[in-house]
Amino acid sequence: MLQIKDLKAGIEDNQILKGINLEVKAGEIHAIMGPNGSGKSTLSAVIAGNEDYEVEGGNITFNGKDLLELDPEERAHNGVFLSFQYPVEIPGISVSNFIKTSITEKRKAQGLEPILTKDLLKMMREKMELLSIKQGYLSRNMNEGFSGGEKKRNEIFQMAMLEPKLAILDETDSGLDIDALRIVANGVNKLRSEDNATVIITHYQRLLDYIVPDFVHVLYNGRIVKSGGAELAHELEEKGYDWVTKEEDKKWA
Amino acid sequence: MGLIENLKSYSEGVQISTEKKELFTSFMSKGFPTTKDEEWKYTSLKKIVTKDYNIENTGEIIDSSTVEKYSLGFDNRIIFSDGKLIGSPNIKGVSVNGFSNFGSNTTDSILQLNKALAQNGFTISVDKNTVLESPIEILFFSTTENNFSQYRNLISVGDNTEVKFVERIQALNDSTSMVNNFTQINCAKNTKVEYNKIQNNTPESRLIDTVNVYQEQDSTCEINTLIFGGSFTRNNLNFEQNGSNCESNMNGISILDDNQLADNHTFVDHKSAHCRSNEMYKGVYLGHSKGVFNGKIMVRPDAQKIDAFQSNNNLLLSDNSTIDSKPQLEIYADDVKCSHGCTIGQLDENALFYMRSRGIGIEEAKAVLTYAFASEAIENISVEEVKLLAQKLLAHKLNVDLDFSL
Ligand SMILES: Nc1ncnc2c1ncn2[C@@H]1O[C@H](COP(=O)(O)OP(=O)(O)OP(=O)(O)O)[C@@H](O)[C@H]1O
Ligand SMILES: [Mg+2]
Repeated sequence: MLQIKDLKAGIEDNQILKGINLEVKAGEIHAIMGPNGSGKSTLSAVIAGNEDYEVEGGNITFNGKDLLELDPEERAHNGVFLSFQYPVEIPGISVSNFIKTSITEKRKAQGLEPILTKDLLKMMREKMELLSIKQGYLSRNMNEGFSGGEKKRNEIFQMAMLEPKLAILDETDSGLDIDALRIVANGVNKLRSEDNATVIITHYQRLLDYIVPDFVHVLYNGRIVKSGGAELAHELEEKGYDWVTKEEDKKWA
Repeated sequence: MGLIENLKSYSEGVQISTEKKELFTSFMSKGFPTTKDEEWKYTSLKKIVTKDYNIENTGEIIDSSTVEKYSLGFDNRIIFSDGKLIGSPNIKGVSVNGFSNFGSNTTDSILQLNKALAQNGFTISVDKNTVLESPIEILFFSTTENNFSQYRNLISVGDNTEVKFVERIQALNDSTSMVNNFTQINCAKNTKVEYNKIQNNTPESRLIDTVNVYQEQDSTCEINTLIFGGSFTRNNLNFEQNGSNCESNMNGISILDDNQLADNHTFVDHKSAHCRSNEMYKGVYLGHSKGVFNGKIMVRPDAQKIDAFQSNNNLLLSDNSTIDSKPQLEIYADDVKCSHGCTIGQLDENALFYMRSRGIGIEEAKAVLTYAFASEAIENISVEEVKLLAQKLLAHKLNVDLDFSL
């Protein structure tokens, strides 16, 4: 589904991603861990098409398409979804209208008629139930005044509504209390299928207790320096990043 | 000829009192303000007053379907056709009358002209201890081509009373008509008054609109100004706080395109202690449009513990649009909280990327963000029908497709 080859990207003169290689197949769950500032959010931003970052080398293909050639909205239409580490507040536009607009735009790009309001409301109610979201939330302004946890839950709600093929969850677990974590994890698990894939960026093992990854990668200094199975996350939790990063530092010293 | 000549020949044919004659003479000696006048520095009347206008109203009868087209459908409606009162509601505790010849001292030439020539308008008195749930809707229609009308209105609200108004001035033809509208609102003790102005007139219409609000203690008065239409709009809102614990609120949006001009001049005169004022004005400028904002806040020496907040935020969405924004603070008391901000902004890049990443195309995302930006200033309107109309007009003008049933 997603192939990233030797991806190099940065901002101005600062190279942040220094050659990333990653392959994600349909049905898989990947976890990316790594110390602060290692480039995890940059990688997700580049995949989603944030033009602040300049791609200096390498390529990304998504279901056979050259992803780097597409605008952010076209990537979304093709099934890429990014749950933001820091979701943006948009005062003046309600959650329901925001979601309606994004679904309408996606359907338009696919040559489909706009969704009927009653179908949209039905779908929203289902997904709200799945994520234990309270009534009244739909008419609030997008992320405005939301608590950290509410913002994250709103990201997963949008994911549930947009049904992406590839979802990248950038620290969706941080800011969630233990109940919310379970609800969100449960939601992600229910939305899993053979046709979609999930990349989870996290600092904590606890989310991975609920969503068990097929692969775990350690990103450090703009490179994936170690990959393994679910057990790698446990090992990192025990030993910290040092045992991986020290070796890496030696290599580039 | 031009408007001054039209006025002159009109005045020669009418009988007016000596007092009015004096006012008229005073107006004629000054004429309309020019850009040399500090209060009119950025807004030129020159093009407007060089045209010819009909001063006399010679209107046609309008049918009820026309009224319904522009009404928001409230039960209580005051309807004028070419200045003639053609509909007046019966409301318990409220007396509604036509024009009354109330006075006011003014050196403003436009208000002198208004006082001298106005023969049309409404007079509303609301009794003490009255709470009106449903707003009073005021509709001014004009059918005369190239008409220049003066409306002069008085609202007196008794103690402990709560009342809301919705006003709309509407030309029923596409000529270059102009209105000089003046409204005085007297808010007695412990009153709550909300006045909504829907300014969505025909593309060639012009408006000079002045509201003077006099507030007694514990009163709250809010004026919402929603500018979508008209080629030229000048609003003067003047609040005078004459007792403690008064609150004066103003919200405004201007969504302009083509060659439209809208100028909002506000003035809050804080004369008493423990009072507040809040102003939130938002402007979106497309095409060759032009916006002006001038917000004056005066805090008199004895007016301690004043909280005055003013903001004017603007988006210039075309290279040919302009905005002149000027806060004017005169503070003579020392225990005062006063904040003001004026921004001329671009759309938030982070928000744009966020929306695009959700599949919303860049043009739509920009339009939605522009809508979101402007709608903040209409969020506090308590009359749902007005708020919804404003949201719809906003969405329509910005070409965004939002579902208001959601
Ligand atoms: N827009 C930007 N401007 C300047 N520097 C940036 C920008 N975005 C990222 N960087 C820098 O790139 C590096 C990687 O940042 P990134 O946000 O990708 O890290 P991260 O792995 O997501 O960290 P965290 O775990 O704290 O979220 C950091 O040093 C950061 O300061
Ligand atoms: Mg990050």
